[in-house]
Amino acid sequence: MTSIGTGYDLSVSTYSPDGRVFQVEYAQKAVDNSGTAIGLRVKDGVVLAVEKIKHSRLLVPNSNKRIMTAGKHIGFASAGWMSDTRHLVKRARDEARHYYGTYKTEIPAKIIAERMGMYVQAYTLYSAVRPFGVSTLLATMDNNDPQLYMIEPSGQYMGYRGCAAGKGKQAAKTEIEKLDLDSLSVRDAVKEAARIIYSVHDSTKDKLFELELSWVCAESNGVHTHVPQDLFDEAVEYAENADNSDDEGDEEMEDDE
Amino acid sequence: MQLQTEQLQSAAGFKFDNVKRNQLLADKGLKLSTAKKTGTTIVGLVFKDGVVLGADTRATSGPIVADKNCEKIHYLAPNMYCCGAGTAADTEFTTNMVSSQIALHSLDTGREARVVTAMTMLKQHLFRHQGYIGASLILGGYDVTGPHLFSIHPHGSTDKLPYLTDGSGSLAAMSMFESRWRPSMSREEAIELVKDAIEAGIFNDMGSGSNVDVCVITQGNVEYLRGYSRPNQRVEKEQSYTFARGTTEYYVPRAAPQPAEVASAMDTSA
Amino acid sequence: MATLKPGEISMGTTIMAVEFNGGVVVGADSRTTSGPYIVNRVTDKLTKVHDNIYCCRSGSAADTQAIADIVKYYLDLYCSQHGEAPTVKIAATLFQEICYQNRSQLLAGIIIGGWDKQEGGSVYNIPLGGSLHREPFSIGGSGSGYIYGYCDKVFRPDMSKEECIEFVKNSVSLAMTRDGSSGGVVRLAVITKDGVERSFISGDQLPEQYLG
Repeated sequence: MTSIGTGYDLSVSTYSPDGRVFQVEYAQKAVDNSGTAIGLRVKDGVVLAVEKIKHSRLLVPNSNKRIMTAGKHIGFASAGWMSDTRHLVKRARDEARHYYGTYKTEIPAKIIAERMGMYVQAYTLYSAVRPFGVSTLLATMDNNDPQLYMIEPSGQYMGYRGCAAGKGKQAAKTEIEKLDLDSLSVRDAVKEAARIIYSVHDSTKDKLFELELSWVCAESNGVHTHVPQDLFDEAVEYAENADNSDDEGDEEMEDDE
Repeated sequence: MQLQTEQLQSAAGFKFDNVKRNQLLADKGLKLSTAKKTGTTIVGLVFKDGVVLGADTRATSGPIVADKNCEKIHYLAPNMYCCGAGTAADTEFTTNMVSSQIALHSLDTGREARVVTAMTMLKQHLFRHQGYIGASLILGGYDVTGPHLFSIHPHGSTDKLPYLTDGSGSLAAMSMFESRWRPSMSREEAIELVKDAIEAGIFNDMGSGSNVDVCVITQGNVEYLRGYSRPNQRVEKEQSYTFARGTTEYYVPRAAPQPAEVASAMDTSA
Repeated sequence: MATLKPGEISMGTTIMAVEFNGGVVVGADSRTTSGPYIVNRVTDKLTKVHDNIYCCRSGSAADTQAIADIVKYYLDLYCSQHGEAPTVKIAATLFQEICYQNRSQLLAGIIIGGWDKQEGGSVYNIPLGGSLHREPFSIGGSGSGYIYGYCDKVFRPDMSKEECIEFVKNSVSLAMTRDGSSGGVVRLAVITKDGVERSFISGDQLPEQYLG
């Protein structure tokens, strides 16, 4: 992305001659600098995991959560700018509440993903605004049906069985692809998610990080919540042990985009 | 303060300023003048090839016959006509307005408008005004989906039936339909029945009178039979009321001589 | 609460909807009146608002027709936005929202019956104030007052389709004979996963009962 001096990157309302909107791509860059966030959709639930990089030891442990709840059954994880994330989470909550007000039925994943996608996309149209520097992962249970969506700064949104965003996304994606998501239980998926976050964490660059784990599943009564402490500890232990044994094998070619 | 808001709100459209006062007075027993309900007989029926609409031609204003030969079958579109009962002005303006909307709609779509479209426009308009527009309508037409007949009441409710009557003469007219209507009647039978139904209204209802207008709508064709039946023509008087010249004596004053010469001799040159 | 305005067309009615295992049966009489005059003796008060959802209308004809038209529009919109049919609950919620928000201006008692994938057959009742009740069966309209006892006695959960049709047929015709504002024919709709079967029983085919 060499765009020095071309002048086509000054506004989101200007295309470059080869049909790109540089501001949107820069927003994607902002996401790529962030700690990794992943989502796993398995047969009986969805798991979200985030590598929250900490810039200071003085931060209160477990504060400034990067996984939030947008509606009883909607998990919201993000990679990118936290301030933008908070704005989007508010929007998601408004959408969920408004939908419930109209239909007295919880908003389906497909609809909230579409509405968030539309909202994010609107910020790629006008020169007066800046696109969101956030990729959003939405994890929901619609009537016992687990769903996972990711919305990118361009406004593009897609449904996934597993997805990743942030600086470790390539490595995380190759790890996720190795999992048998259709037969995995949510409990196992929580552990695998922890393992993947640990494995993609680059301790040479970012020393301090905190793992965040959440789920929506039958065991959580279809409600999105951070995983219980015992499961969290179990997952961390699993991740720390797996980390060493797994390391050699998986630094191969990453040929997906 | 209250007054101000009311004045602002009633800047255009209907005014409801006196509704509460009138209600109060009515509750206390004051006889308010009732809204003018035009006595009318209008009918419509579906026959084998289309629909026939019928109407009488009397317009009344209280006890006065305001027009002895008015038109109550209104044009809506080339394939649709609409009989109106109730407040004459309201039926006239409502059908006119929908007629122009329908014309624009078919220009937009490039198609002939459907009867349900007109019916929906009429009912939504009347519902919006909560019965204050006193138009009671029978809408008939023929479109791509076949013949259709609807009645639309002032509050915006609609019915779809094979034969319909409305107006103060509707009971008389309905008695004709209830005894003589059959499915798939021929054109001639249908026109005859519509005529008889309207005449039942003309002869038995005080609010209806004069002539019978009929409108026959079939696929791609409309026949508007203005004055199809004229059962109330003025007939020759049994006796002559013309009196012979000189029957009455009258006084002719003697004319005074005109001073014509004086006027012409006047000098007008300054 | 709204009352019938002078000259307004009303449906002093008998309507009902009953759940059975596999669907619902909705039924209604066919009388529409304007004061003492029967404006329409073969009215269809069972109005389709979506493929497998019907509403039974009672109260002001104009009000209930307008509401049904609006809900029909919203359900069509829902269907194209979601790519799937709405549930009966969603339809009932939309009805309630309109009935409650405009309760001071409306005279509408509506029963919603239908079939969906989540719940199977379900019945919702929205009486005059705009509250919403899910019930295994609902009766409504001026004629319903005469048959509460009969319905409570005869209704059983998990009736077969045939039993349910008989129940509705008998209940509505009983109400029609005692309520002056109800009459004409009995109209029925049976809604199951396989779709809707419409039928009617003409005035001379109604179940026999004591007529004095």
